[in-house]
Amino acid sequence: MADKEPKILSFLCNWCSYGAADLAGVSRMEYPSNIRVIRIPCTGRMSPKFILAALRQGADAVWVSG
Amino acid sequence: MKSYTDKIKEIAKRLLKEDKVDMVIGYRKGTVPLMHQPFFATSEGEVDSFVWDSNCGLNLANYITDRKERIGIVATGCNSRNIAVHVVEGKIQRDQLYIIGIPCQGMVDRHKLAAMAEGNIASVEEDEDKGTITISGQGFSKSVDKAEVLQENCSICVHRNPVLCDELVADEVTEQTREQADPYARVREIEAMSPDDKWAHFDDLLSDCIRCYACRNACPLCYCPQCFVDESNPQWVGKSVDPTDIRTFHLLRAYHCAGRCTDCGACVRSCPVGINVRDFTKKLEKDCLELYGWEAGLNTEQRPPLDTYKPEDPEDFIK
Amino acid sequence: MKNLLEHMGVEPERLHFSWISSAESTKFVDVATKVTESVKSLESKEKKFVKTKPKVA
Repeated sequence: MADKEPKILSFLCNWCSYGAADLAGVSRMEYPSNIRVIRIPCTGRMSPKFILAALRQGADAVWVSG
Repeated sequence: MKSYTDKIKEIAKRLLKEDKVDMVIGYRKGTVPLMHQPFFATSEGEVDSFVWDSNCGLNLANYITDRKERIGIVATGCNSRNIAVHVVEGKIQRDQLYIIGIPCQGMVDRHKLAAMAEGNIASVEEDEDKGTITISGQGFSKSVDKAEVLQENCSICVHRNPVLCDELVADEVTEQTREQADPYARVREIEAMSPDDKWAHFDDLLSDCIRCYACRNACPLCYCPQCFVDESNPQWVGKSVDPTDIRTFHLLRAYHCAGRCTDCGACVRSCPVGINVRDFTKKLEKDCLELYGWEAGLNTEQRPPLDTYKPEDPEDFIK
Repeated sequence: MKNLLEHMGVEPERLHFSWISSAESTKFVDVATKVTESVKSLESKEKKFVKTKPKVA
C-alpha cells in the first residue's frame, strides 16, 4: 500500500464544484492528482449507494462536493 | 392480558358489526410458541381468534401499506408510531384507519428464552399478577421474571402508549423517562470503540447472517416496490453471503430507515440467527434525535428531517 | 451517512463533504489538497468495505 498513491473518488456538482475545478484548471492551478472526478448534475443526485459502491470497488476515500 | 384480549375482541366485534371497518388486523396464536401471527378478521365470527400477550412482537403497520380498505388495527406505542410514519409517507390515509390502542407492557425476547430452555420450547405461560413467564418442553419447565426476558428495545422504550389511536383497551401505562431508560447506552458503548474495534464488532455481529431478508420483510418501513438488493442493473450489492455484501446490505437498509425507524424490534425478533440488527438502526435514531431533535412517528403532520431543509440544520460536517 | 460509516468502523478520513461555489477555484484547490493529505495519513491502514473476489472460484 505504502508505495501506491491513494485514489479519491470525488463527486462534484456540475454547477458548483465542477465549475470550480474547471476554473482551477483554466487558471493553471495545481492540485493533487489523486482526485478522480465524477460530474453529477446536482449534489441532490448523490445517493449513499454511490458512496458504498465507490468504497466497495476499491476507492480509498470519497469526496462529495456541492 | 386476558382483559386486553377480551377488550380487543369486543371492540373488533363492534366495529365489524356496525360496518365501520372492512377488516380488523390483530394477532392470533401462532403454530409455534412465542410467535403470534398477524390475523385479518373480516367477519364477527373470526374475531374470537384474536389474542394479546407478550408474544405479539410483529409490527402490524407492515400490513397496511397501500391498502384501500377501511381497517381496524391493533397498535402498541411503536406500532402506532409506524402507522403515523405510514400516514406521513402517504402509504395509508388516516381516515381509513380505526386504531385500537394498546398500552404496551413490553414483549418477551424469544432469543433470550430459547437460550434459557433445555430443549425445544413447547408451551409458554404468562402469569400476569406475578409478572413471570414459564416456558416448558419435554423434560423441563422454567419460570423467569418477565422483566428479565424483555426485548431490549422494550426495556428501554419511552413510548409505550399509542401516540395515535381512536380507542384504548385499558388505561395508559406509566412511561419511563429517558433518564430511567437510558436508551442509548449500547450505542455509546460502540461509539467509544476505535475504528478497528468497531469494524471487528460488526464483523462478529454479522458473521451469522444468511441474507434471508427476514429483517427487511418484517420491517414496516421496507415497502419499496423493488429493494436495492434486488436491483441488478446497476447491481449495488452482491447476492452472496460475502462479508462485504452482508455489511453493505445492513448499512444501506439501516440508512433507508434513518429518521423513520421507531425501534419496534421487529427486525431483531424475526432474525432466525439472532443478530441484533438494532446496533445499526439505533445509532441513526440517536443521531436524528441529537442532530434534528426528531423522533419518528410522533405525529402525522411533520415531515421527516432528511426530507426537509431548515436553516438551522447542522452542517459542521461540510467543509 | 458519515456517522453510520464511522459507527461501523470506517475511518472518518475516508468520506468528505464540502461546499464550493463555481468561482472559488482557490478553495477547490485548497480542499482537494487537504482531502488528499488526510487520506494519505491513513495509507498504512487496510482498506475497508472493498469487495474482494471470492477465494473459491
